[in-house]
Amino acid sequence: MATKKTNYSEEDLVASLKQNNREAYEYLYERYSGALFSVICKVLRDEEKAEDVMQDAFLKIWKSITSYDPAKGRLFTWMLNIARNSAIDAVRSEGRKPILDDITENLDRTEQNASYQPSTSTLDLKALVENLKPERKLLVDLVYFQGYTQEEVSKELNIPLGTVKSRIRTALQDLKLYFNI
Amino acid sequence: MNTQAYIESGILEEYVLGVVSPQEKQEVECLSHIYPEVKAELTRLESTLESYALQHAQNPPRALKDKIFAQMEFASEDDITETEPVLVEESAPESAAEIRIGQQSARPLWALMAVAASVVLALVSSWAVYQLTLTNGQNEKLAAQMKTLQTTADNNQTIASYYRNPDVRIIRMPGLDKAPESTVVALWNQQTQEVFLDVQNLPAAPAGKQYQLWTIVDGKPVDMGVLAQDYAGRVLQMKRANATPAAFAITLEKEGGSPSPTLEEMYVMGKV
Repeated sequence: MATKKTNYSEEDLVASLKQNNREAYEYLYERYSGALFSVICKVLRDEEKAEDVMQDAFLKIWKSITSYDPAKGRLFTWMLNIARNSAIDAVRSEGRKPILDDITENLDRTEQNASYQPSTSTLDLKALVENLKPERKLLVDLVYFQGYTQEEVSKELNIPLGTVKSRIRTALQDLKLYFNI
Repeated sequence: MNTQAYIESGILEEYVLGVVSPQEKQEVECLSHIYPEVKAELTRLESTLESYALQHAQNPPRALKDKIFAQMEFASEDDITETEPVLVEESAPESAAEIRIGQQSARPLWALMAVAASVVLALVSSWAVYQLTLTNGQNEKLAAQMKTLQTTADNNQTIASYYRNPDVRIIRMPGLDKAPESTVVALWNQQTQEVFLDVQNLPAAPAGKQYQLWTIVDGKPVDMGVLAQDYAGRVLQMKRANATPAAFAITLEKEGGSPSPTLEEMYVMGKV
């Protein structure tokens, strides 16, 4: 019992979390806090506040784990929704609009990234992902990480809704191939 | 059902991204519950986005972990050996059963309607006897009215008896995106395997079209017969269920029915 588990199957992890097992929560934090924190930072644009929201979100995950239903989807999807919604609520409570004004800046940045073409020999996974058509990657980031609706993205970027939808779909299919899933 | 077309429609991507309407959400959850290939694609998409997010991880400061964990209380080793979460899981079917009982008892409407119809019928009958002495022309009209009332009363009695029968499994099929206000209830007698439909609300089928009932057995749709065109306010007897279905659904098909359901024309669906 005292041996520290370094790897869990999703099923075991969920069962241990539901038993309120400390080690399972430590594993959960080590494995996923970075991904969740990154999403919170993207929404808030303020690392200090992001830490508070990260704290709230993780405690919320801990408190409401009994309501997580594996039949409805993977644990990470559920946790990401909690983290993203906490971040969006925090932005709204400050009376700010969730960083829609940063979209153009975002677009500039992804275009710069697009000009970086690594040679095939040094092509690692990250580069492959970065190499996704930038406009598609941006759309996935805006919707998945930052919680925009597809309608908002369409309006702000002046891209027809149908195009937004099909680009996001293609991007996910590309990602699926990259990650070999 | 053409699950490939459904998978390719892009709705699963939208579901995973969290941008679907509550109805679409219900639909995806229902279909992924029924069709293993839909579930598999959904899990693949979720894993993809998970890998993507892990790839973009940005670790919070080390001190944050201690700060968060200081606010949490965990089970002691002893507690863990107790199978506590099983209790939590068991409570779910119980509450579902309660809801079902609640639905049944919240439906004395049928009984009330039956009683009301019987009273009306009695009144109309005595009035009819009086009228009989007057004109023959009116007689025919009254006979027709009586027949309608009799049918309604019988119908309500029948419905009430199904809802009260403990062998009958009640499967509520809420409306999907096509017609969210629709409600059809499938009454499946698990002893006799008979299946009846109580159509509470369903848009009128357009000319040349007819509704068709399906069950999903082992991920495959099974034809349960077409709905009579005058389904409104009637209890319809459908084909017998030969196996244990995972769900019931109704699609709009060409008149006379189709060999396999048209997914885009699915109006209602309910999990067993």
